[in-house]
Amino acid sequence: MGRYIIKRLLWMIPIALGVAILVFTLMTFTPGDPAQTLLGATATEEDLNAKREELGLNDPYFVRLFDYLGDVFIRFDLGNSWITSVSIIDTIKIRMPRTVILTVVTLIIAFGLGIPLGVLAATHQNKWQDSVSMVLAMIGVAIPNFWLALLLVVAFSVKLRWLPAMGIEMGLISYILPALSNCTGALANCARQTRSSMLDVIRADYITTARSKGVPERSVIYKHALKNALIPIITAAGTAFGRLLGGAMIIETIFDIPGMGTYIIGSLNNRDYPVVQGGTIFLAIVFSILMLLVDLLYAAVDPRIKAQYASSKKRKKVKANA
Amino acid sequence: MPETKTAPAPQQHKAKKKSEFMRVMRQLSKNKLAMIGIAVLIIEILLAALAPWIAPYEYDKMDIPNAFATPSAEHLFGTDDMGRDIFSRVLYGGRYSISTGILAVLISTVLGICVGSVAGYFGGQVDNIIMRLLDIIQAIPGMLLMIVIASVLGPGFINTVIALSVGSIPASARMLRAQMLKERENEYIEASQSINCSKFRIIFSHLLPNCMSPMIVSSTMGVAQTITTAAGLSFIGLGVQPPTPEWGAMLSAARQFMRQAPHLIIFPGLAIALTVLVLNFVGDGLRDALDPKLKN
Repeated sequence: MGRYIIKRLLWMIPIALGVAILVFTLMTFTPGDPAQTLLGATATEEDLNAKREELGLNDPYFVRLFDYLGDVFIRFDLGNSWITSVSIIDTIKIRMPRTVILTVVTLIIAFGLGIPLGVLAATHQNKWQDSVSMVLAMIGVAIPNFWLALLLVVAFSVKLRWLPAMGIEMGLISYILPALSNCTGALANCARQTRSSMLDVIRADYITTARSKGVPERSVIYKHALKNALIPIITAAGTAFGRLLGGAMIIETIFDIPGMGTYIIGSLNNRDYPVVQGGTIFLAIVFSILMLLVDLLYAAVDPRIKAQYASSKKRKKVKANA
Repeated sequence: MPETKTAPAPQQHKAKKKSEFMRVMRQLSKNKLAMIGIAVLIIEILLAALAPWIAPYEYDKMDIPNAFATPSAEHLFGTDDMGRDIFSRVLYGGRYSISTGILAVLISTVLGICVGSVAGYFGGQVDNIIMRLLDIIQAIPGMLLMIVIASVLGPGFINTVIALSVGSIPASARMLRAQMLKERENEYIEASQSINCSKFRIIFSHLLPNCMSPMIVSSTMGVAQTITTAAGLSFIGLGVQPPTPEWGAMLSAARQFMRQAPHLIIFPGLAIALTVLVLNFVGDGLRDALDPKLKN
């Protein structure tokens, strides 16, 4: 198990390097002159040249690439924004928590509603509750979240005036609308996943046993069945967390949440390449670590999978001895 | 599909002998939701394709005095800030949105098949290198990657299609590879190797047809996903640009008027949601129809 974790962590180094090279190359070959964008249309040729020299844009591609990789992977410095000259890592430290809060609130809503919906569907299989839940799930997948965001803003901010339409001045309350509009996909997946894994579990012998020894139905469903059905749901939550973290960019833009999404999209529009590169590398590393955690979580909640890791190790030992 | 439903017994026998396709179609025709999905989808595609002939107004015909008209008999979905008829614009928008989705998925599936089958069939070092490269692409959250590529390429229809397809190549390549790894252990592959079939032939005429089922299902769902993503890209100002009646671009333009004229944001969004919904119905139906466990 330990060796597996170390192996996975070591794999992240070439992946992060690859991501850095990929994004750096994409940015380098983007049409348009960053110096021109930074200085505006009125800048003289001399100013432009000086700016290009300052940003290192006159150096050949490989020189700049290796400089950049050196900065990032040896000095652990993502550089400064070309526009505000603020350190990118410092900005990420302020902005990342907001994206994380949004993701966590989204996840709480999605799984808080999705699990009961899935349980309801599974316990009433092929009845109307089942059909209604699954149709709701289908609609949840189909609704584009930026559209839902607009509808929710019109309903709750413009008409009812209950919740703020943008910004994060009101603390957690300002995250409710963004999270609601962002949660539909994850909610639907969770409901479907819960339903199918509950259906698998509910036919198991130990459920029949529990029922026949007179355990109340409620406790059969929530204590005996759901507990065992939770394994795939927990991993689904992990995957959803990773996906939401990188996928909330449009929602962040709509609600004007100063998180990672707005940071990167804004910098793309301003040709502030170091921010785009740094932000993407950072998110990719976070994403990879999350996926590793999901795999570990999977092993932690399911003894059968843990046993697999152990047995593959033992198998290797046997081979080595032979 | 109606023919298979009403097919008399001898023909059915023929169909059984004839093809897997007919079997899948028959299975699919039993699924109500999938049939509704196919019907709605065909209507939508027809409406979009025939938009120049059936749309009541030109999509760019302005009528400023009539701006922000609410839905009425004259303007089914009302008019926007320039008095343009929203119904006509939604019809025209279908041409961009649906074709973006289909084209992008087509490209990514074809490239994914090429990459995935090479990795899956040859295995070893080739497989290793390809998979590590895909790992790198997949380490970047999908939406972010598409946004970056779309902004590097600049706006426009073709560029959007490219951005969307590049982002989804790894997933389809991975899926095909997994399928190939399972399939290539079969005896018929050993048989074709032993009679000296060329590798190209083994991959394309023996292995691929047997690996296609999950690819077909995931492409159908993929079109739905891609339509939403494409609309999202144009919504934040990348992708197809505003005067063009793309659904996402229409939503983006309507956003600043949503306080006084909420009907502007309702219809383009409904169009996206409906298309995605029916595509998912079809995808679900196909999955059930193609699932060998349900074969009778």
